[in-house]
Amino acid sequence: MRAGSLCYGPAILVGRLTRFAARLRKPGGGSAVPGLVVNRIAPNYLKRTLSGFPQGLVVVSGSAGKSTTTKMLVAILREHGVDVFTNPSTANISQGLTSALLEQADWRGRVPGEVAVLEMDEGHGALVMQGVDARVVCLTNVMVDQIDRFHDSEMVAGMLGRIAARAGESVVVNADDAYLERLAEKVGPDVSVRRFGVSQSVLDAAPRGLGYTETSTTRLDPAAGVVIDSVEGRTTTLLDEGRRVVAGLPARGTHYAVDAAAAYSTAKAVLGERFSGETAARALDAIPAVFGRGERVTVRGQEVEFVLVQNPASYQLNVDSIEPGTSDILFAIGSDVRDPSYFWPADASSLRRVAIVSGSKAAEAALMLAYDGVGIDRIEPDLARALDDFLAAPAPTAGVKTIVFSADSMRRTRAHLGLTGTE
Amino acid sequence: MSFTIVSLLPTLQNTNGDAQNAQVLAMRARWAGLEADVRAVDDAAVLPDRVDAVVLGSGSDASLEASRERLLGLHDELRRWGTEGVPILGVGTGWELLSWGIETGDGRSIEGLGILPGRAVPRAERVTGDLVVRSPAFGMLVGFENHARDYIGAEGSPLGRVLAGGGNGRDSGQEGVVMGSVFGTHLHGPVLAKNPAFADRLLTIMAERAGVDYTPGGRSEEVDGYAAAARSVQARAAGVEAPDA
Repeated sequence: MRAGSLCYGPAILVGRLTRFAARLRKPGGGSAVPGLVVNRIAPNYLKRTLSGFPQGLVVVSGSAGKSTTTKMLVAILREHGVDVFTNPSTANISQGLTSALLEQADWRGRVPGEVAVLEMDEGHGALVMQGVDARVVCLTNVMVDQIDRFHDSEMVAGMLGRIAARAGESVVVNADDAYLERLAEKVGPDVSVRRFGVSQSVLDAAPRGLGYTETSTTRLDPAAGVVIDSVEGRTTTLLDEGRRVVAGLPARGTHYAVDAAAAYSTAKAVLGERFSGETAARALDAIPAVFGRGERVTVRGQEVEFVLVQNPASYQLNVDSIEPGTSDILFAIGSDVRDPSYFWPADASSLRRVAIVSGSKAAEAALMLAYDGVGIDRIEPDLARALDDFLAAPAPTAGVKTIVFSADSMRRTRAHLGLTGTE
Repeated sequence: MSFTIVSLLPTLQNTNGDAQNAQVLAMRARWAGLEADVRAVDDAAVLPDRVDAVVLGSGSDASLEASRERLLGLHDELRRWGTEGVPILGVGTGWELLSWGIETGDGRSIEGLGILPGRAVPRAERVTGDLVVRSPAFGMLVGFENHARDYIGAEGSPLGRVLAGGGNGRDSGQEGVVMGSVFGTHLHGPVLAKNPAFADRLLTIMAERAGVDYTPGGRSEEVDGYAAAARSVQARAAGVEAPDA
């Protein structure tokens, strides 16, 4: 079955040619330009195609965890034998979505797949979703993130509310997030609300809480949704209607278990009777460790751990997870972090010493670390040079060489070190 | 002697990391060989006996009323500190709550605590970005602003003149307000870290009141070098050549 329609043939052709031209200019690079062009000449293509999947559209949005949740959800649905169309996480705004559709589209613009699962930027999603009907919308959480774009949590919740309003069948929410619970109260009478959340013991075991702007005061009743009963290392146990489902996680950390519960609950909403907990667990077990999120790789003969900083909550969690005493840390913040102010409430004092601070925001990052009492050996704004020197230095005296970076610095690091593959 | 720096309402009023300015003051005091502690105060019941400086950060518009309620419980203390010359730094909506009052874009009117002259009034559209200010007392101040309201009635005693950005708005060309040792500014986040001259002015006031000497020391020279680099990058991005950065 295919989503799309004949009348888009000419626009698709132009999009294809644009993509071809863009690749000539920047070999190997993905580009949002073809999407931009098609959105301009065929403004309804995106809406029509998104609304046209036979088993409907599933949208995942929220401040954090949407990439991982989307990947997990897609894996669970595919393990159930469903043909899924999905977008790469970097293509979660309008042009990128259209470009992603074009990658899969035939010459008439039709996209194969029974169901579409899309990760949606919380800011652009409300706009993209205008006139698009979703079956199921999954919302992960509301956190303070990118304040220059989102100003405050009310604004994020408002935008997520507009995305949720497009759901015709179910809205799946994180019951531990008080903003999302308030949002769930407002869904229409024909739309069911499904919930996931952590148990009290899981919450008690998270020393700095869950990181949401406002955490619900009560925990989810196992009779009312999927409860994360425990998280041990890279394994979580979910409680689902009296059954215990044990599943593997792509990395250690409560937030990965929460993402898994979000994906599990959403897959249940999509599949209904066809859903199997064992199949879902098998899919989750098979998800490889995620690049840039606590992954260890061997580069230039050295073991290196990558730690991605996306928002204040993940910054705190990831810094906490770095083994105390680790002697060789490279800390790089790039131009994607327009204003680092909102990272300041996190406490990085456990790092004690950082070998090199780099990236275009190196001075801002050094300032933040210094006032947390972290020693700094060197500031090198040129990330390529910082990486070369960091990797050329002798093996660390304690721990593994660890690179903490923002998303932009991660991309530059990956390009510089010739690392490809999953993101 | 140990300085006690109060971080007021850090739960409600710390969207941008403004509350960490209290940490900046404490750290610089320690680098200078003085003792200092930060105390988080979310209600009057846990107020310490000794208060050497107060930092009140910015929150969301949804929490304006709740924050005002909490601050009313400290109204007498805030007035007394203001009169006695205890340095108070109010940032963003924290500053607005210390003013005569706030008019929001959706028609709410919130009475302020009247510690600082002037009031916050809606502006045509939110201003977000770099803010560079020339201050007679501190030289160039550099930071970020993100606010949906202008500030009127500060014309007599602003913090400085706007070189780039919005500031108080309404064609005033000014940013912030100063009343004795009470400072209000739109410069959010770690304004005192990025502008060490501002931090050291507050620390000097604190030291004079406590009868001790404050001379920046320890890591401050190294760290102020990071601040200078960050200021210079940001001022240039905002189109201002930074002679002192």
